[in-house]
Amino acid sequence: MAEFDLNDESVVVIIGSGAGGGTVANELAQKGIKSVILEAGPRFDIGDIENDEWTMFSKISWLDKRYSAGGWHGSVNHPTLPTWIVKGFGGSTVHWAGVSLRFKEYEFKTRSNYGAVDGANVEDWPVDLAEMTPWYEKAELKMGVTGKTTGMPHLPWNNGFRVLAEGCRRTGRSDYRSGPMAINSVERDDRPSCQQIGFCMQGCAIGAKWSTMYTELPRAEDTGNCEIRTDAMVLKIEHDDSGKASGVLYADKDGNQHLQKARVVCVAGNSIESPRLLLNSASSMFPDGLANSSGQVGKNYMNHTTGGVYAALPEKVHMFRGTSVAGIVGDEVRNDPARGFNGGYYLEFLSLGLPFMAAFMEPGNTGWGRSIAGALENYDKMSGVWVLGEDLAQEKNAITLHDSEVDQYGLPVPIVAKTPHNNDYEMTAHAYETTAQIYESVGATDVYELPAYPATHNMGTNRMHADADKGVVNGYGQAHDIDNLFVSDGSQFTSSGACNPTLTIVALAIRQAEYIAQEMNAQNI
Amino acid sequence: MTIRFHRLGKSDEDRTGMSRRMFLMTTTMAGITTNAMLSGAAFAGSSALNPAQSASVLQMVQDIYPHPGLLNLSHYEAIVASVAKTADEDESSAKTLTDGLALLDEKAQELFGSTYAEIEDADAREGLLRHFQGEGFFQSVRWTAYFGIYNNKDIWPLFGYQGSSVEYGGYIDRGFSDITFVPEGPTLEERMDDVQN
Repeated sequence: MAEFDLNDESVVVIIGSGAGGGTVANELAQKGIKSVILEAGPRFDIGDIENDEWTMFSKISWLDKRYSAGGWHGSVNHPTLPTWIVKGFGGSTVHWAGVSLRFKEYEFKTRSNYGAVDGANVEDWPVDLAEMTPWYEKAELKMGVTGKTTGMPHLPWNNGFRVLAEGCRRTGRSDYRSGPMAINSVERDDRPSCQQIGFCMQGCAIGAKWSTMYTELPRAEDTGNCEIRTDAMVLKIEHDDSGKASGVLYADKDGNQHLQKARVVCVAGNSIESPRLLLNSASSMFPDGLANSSGQVGKNYMNHTTGGVYAALPEKVHMFRGTSVAGIVGDEVRNDPARGFNGGYYLEFLSLGLPFMAAFMEPGNTGWGRSIAGALENYDKMSGVWVLGEDLAQEKNAITLHDSEVDQYGLPVPIVAKTPHNNDYEMTAHAYETTAQIYESVGATDVYELPAYPATHNMGTNRMHADADKGVVNGYGQAHDIDNLFVSDGSQFTSSGACNPTLTIVALAIRQAEYIAQEMNAQNI
Repeated sequence: MTIRFHRLGKSDEDRTGMSRRMFLMTTTMAGITTNAMLSGAAFAGSSALNPAQSASVLQMVQDIYPHPGLLNLSHYEAIVASVAKTADEDESSAKTLTDGLALLDEKAQELFGSTYAEIEDADAREGLLRHFQGEGFFQSVRWTAYFGIYNNKDIWPLFGYQGSSVEYGGYIDRGFSDITFVPEGPTLEERMDDVQN
């Protein structure tokens, strides 16, 4: 494995090893460009993966101090766990379920399609579906996504999805299938095919699901062009007198601080840590934080409009057998304002194990008693979905820094504020009703509605915009203010779309790496 | 935020009736099916809790997660043993708990003229406990009960949950698609056709 000197000014420093950072690193490494990845968490490998919800939650989650704020129920029920993401090698690609959907054309152009929405800060992306399509294809080939690009069939249907699919058929729907998933349905790319183990979100124990943990990161290391330092928490991005990013200050496992010099810096720490780092990097030249002349760093935090719906069926389902997200219903993903809201939503079959079902059926202090216990006795007869809908950007939904409390690194604790827009309430009500009808058509006796879980899809806090006054980065994720500073994760999203963000993060990262290589060759950065 | 039961198929009366019938049926089998769970569950004396306090906690955990048709007393006793162990080992949590139990009984006397554990009506006991659900002592007992029941591998089979599968090669040959009350999913040929044509 390569080792680079702290004073080596020629390296690209990449902060984070997940979908964005891991992909950029490997793409650059394959082109011969040298990089250092600074990963805040420990090194994991596939041997660390266990089929146990709480064991894995404790092992891989980002549990540094954070506060939930705003009007969503989590500010009461999950006061210190606003998000459910990973701190460690591979980032949240260890935890993701594998759903690999593309944005729809209208979702890239929400301002043009929705107009100005009261209380929201809706804008168009500087890219569109036609521009992104070849990059989506590259991402699908890299990740091994079932579907037309790879020719890999979608996965076989498990019990829980068969119930949902039959409900869809009986209610006249047509768009429901067991993909696209970045889970091998056949052996491919030196990884095995899915054994229907379940526990996808606890990390795939055999590597059938794409994760940078066992694809991009080791492959980048194998080139000799990439050094990955784990337990390396970035504290600050430094810049020189001309305002160019010049290095990255980080703390190692023992708390010792080091400054890694850099030619280019890519920030990919997820949508909480990335804006937090830019804000924490304020200097006399950039008093409001790096790359923040627009004032949009940390703003427009989106995490999807979500909820859970579980139905008790007349017979056993054993939904936990097989892939966690075993099928996707796409009929409701369209912009039809006549429904009372902008944008659309997916229904994704999602199994929870008994421990998580008991914890999330009614989160918070009230989730006990006869009604909860009675519902949990139906556990083995349940099928259910995660509702996943577009979340409109709002400036007041934001990542800010606590004014007095600091974490174990001495950094101000991030406050994650989310208040749903009326659009979200309308959409959620529609989704709950739709899902209840689907399950009732297959004989559901009870239908349980669950509020949003702590967010795994975090987006928008360093958004891209063609106009430097309205966004932090341009269409390549390059900071408007600082040419050699890039944002490589989901925080560059201008809108959330209805779909899971990972495929788009990877597609953008492949495209960004191409652009970085080109700009480095041209000596522009 | 509270759970909304969107549409209930059965009346509460039916549920209760069903649960009671299942309770009678399953208690006779409990000795056979739950042997594994009894280790460490012996209702040993606690230095921090007197017998009345232990009895209150035992009633609490049964009211917090009542599963009369699935679990038997020994499951709940094991949770009480765990609560008592924490109290025995930590003076401040013992005080929080015993102070809380005293307040619970005080409120019970005020509303029902008896101690909490002596209230016969389950709904009344749950209603009384709701007064205290924001309190630390209550949530501490509640989460101990949560982990003792729903994160307990010995209890999972009673809920039909099978847990870890990787050591058995996953569920691919163990019933991941074995239900018969809805149609089967598409065949491999149909799934190939879907992506290749």
